[in-house]
Amino acid sequence: MLEVRGATRRFGNLVALQDATLSVDEGEFVTIVGASGCGKTTLLRLIAGLDQDYTGEITLRGQRIVGTSLERGIVFQEPRLLPWLTLWDNIAIALDNAPLSTAAKKDAITAQIALVGLTGFEKAYPAALSGGMAQRAAIARALVGHPSILLLDEPLGALDAITRMRLQEELLRIWRHERVSMILVTHDVEEAVFLSQKIVVMDSSPGHVTANIALDLPFPRDRSSAEFGAFKRQIFDALHDNAAVKPPEIEYLI
Amino acid sequence: MLFKQDLLWDIWASVFIIGQAFVYGALLGVGLGFAAGLSHRVELLFSGTINTIRHIPSVAWIPLVVVWLGLGAPAKIVVIAKSIFIPVFLNTLQAIRGVDHNFIELAQALKLSKRQLIRRVILPAILPVIMVTLRYSAGLAWALVVIAEGISGLEGMGFLIFRAQNLLMTDQLLVCMVLIGVIGYALDRLLYMAQRRLLRWQRGFGGSYA
Repeated sequence: MLEVRGATRRFGNLVALQDATLSVDEGEFVTIVGASGCGKTTLLRLIAGLDQDYTGEITLRGQRIVGTSLERGIVFQEPRLLPWLTLWDNIAIALDNAPLSTAAKKDAITAQIALVGLTGFEKAYPAALSGGMAQRAAIARALVGHPSILLLDEPLGALDAITRMRLQEELLRIWRHERVSMILVTHDVEEAVFLSQKIVVMDSSPGHVTANIALDLPFPRDRSSAEFGAFKRQIFDALHDNAAVKPPEIEYLI
Repeated sequence: MLFKQDLLWDIWASVFIIGQAFVYGALLGVGLGFAAGLSHRVELLFSGTINTIRHIPSVAWIPLVVVWLGLGAPAKIVVIAKSIFIPVFLNTLQAIRGVDHNFIELAQALKLSKRQLIRRVILPAILPVIMVTLRYSAGLAWALVVIAEGISGLEGMGFLIFRAQNLLMTDQLLVCMVLIGVIGYALDRLLYMAQRRLLRWQRGFGGSYA
């Protein structure tokens, strides 16, 4: 459904992303794993259409991606809720330009708030929400317009371990409920193994894709099972190999 | 005219001037501030002129504008509106330049039109700055009303207080001082209440810290 072919992004002389290729099937959960600076957020921004200055090709259902679109929902690293809007309005803003009747919008928002478990907080301002609640609201905002693919840019990175685990389960539930394709960017290997059907491993200097690993474990996955551990090992190895074959780097300060 | 005694009329004359000057100055400041904030070309067009005008104090404008428009209210309204316009314009422009880029990116992702971006993102984001500027410049403008009426005019609080000085009527002078203070305070409270209402969503440092 989503195809990235040979995507390259340069910032001046720096190659942030080189020749990235990946594909996402209809309804598939794909995770991009890699250390900071490996170009995974750059790649996601290209897919989102927030950055259009690249070479290569990115197509969604055969259509080349031009600019942002409500077809591609995005959740950022931080919730990015507008502090002057209530939770309800923060989600409703995603439907401002949707061709729906007022009643249909209302139903969609109500259902989405219920799906992320925030019913009862509709009138709260973002300042009154916890980090986990705010990120749930951000997920609801990205999903309310029923995009065909949801892009998640380390959405759980800033949360504590317990909230993160809970939200991973939520994300899994939402994904199975909505049957929407998802691309998750993360540096948390366990999160990747817990959620994805396919893991794309990336490495830096320049940012590129080093491995594509398919995970055929059934959902929900048991974090303490042997198979789970084996996949974690495989991902760690893929990340580690990259580090091992690299020649020693000269470090310099800019 | 010189011996007329009608306090309410004089209060009304002054309030009339600051009210009109405030509305014109603020609207023009926010409007042009937005135009310049949203378009670099408009900014270049206006900034030179405005930066030149702003270094001539409002008081220095009074004699010229009075020659043009006479001793009545219009001259004072123009000068005082200008004194409100300058800070409102500059702060609106700077506040727009300072809007968090992440929010602009969010608006792009949500496919908001330029109008929606202004109404739902930029305007609320800069409202705290605009409200503070309005309150601050309203205070300055009120002082300027008193001066302008004292320099040239035949009615208003400024006229009364300077006439009282010239006639050594200390009692009237003191009453005027108190009244000017009370009206200034009421004006600021009005704006403060509007600010509280418009910025309900804000939760910064509330002031209590134990």
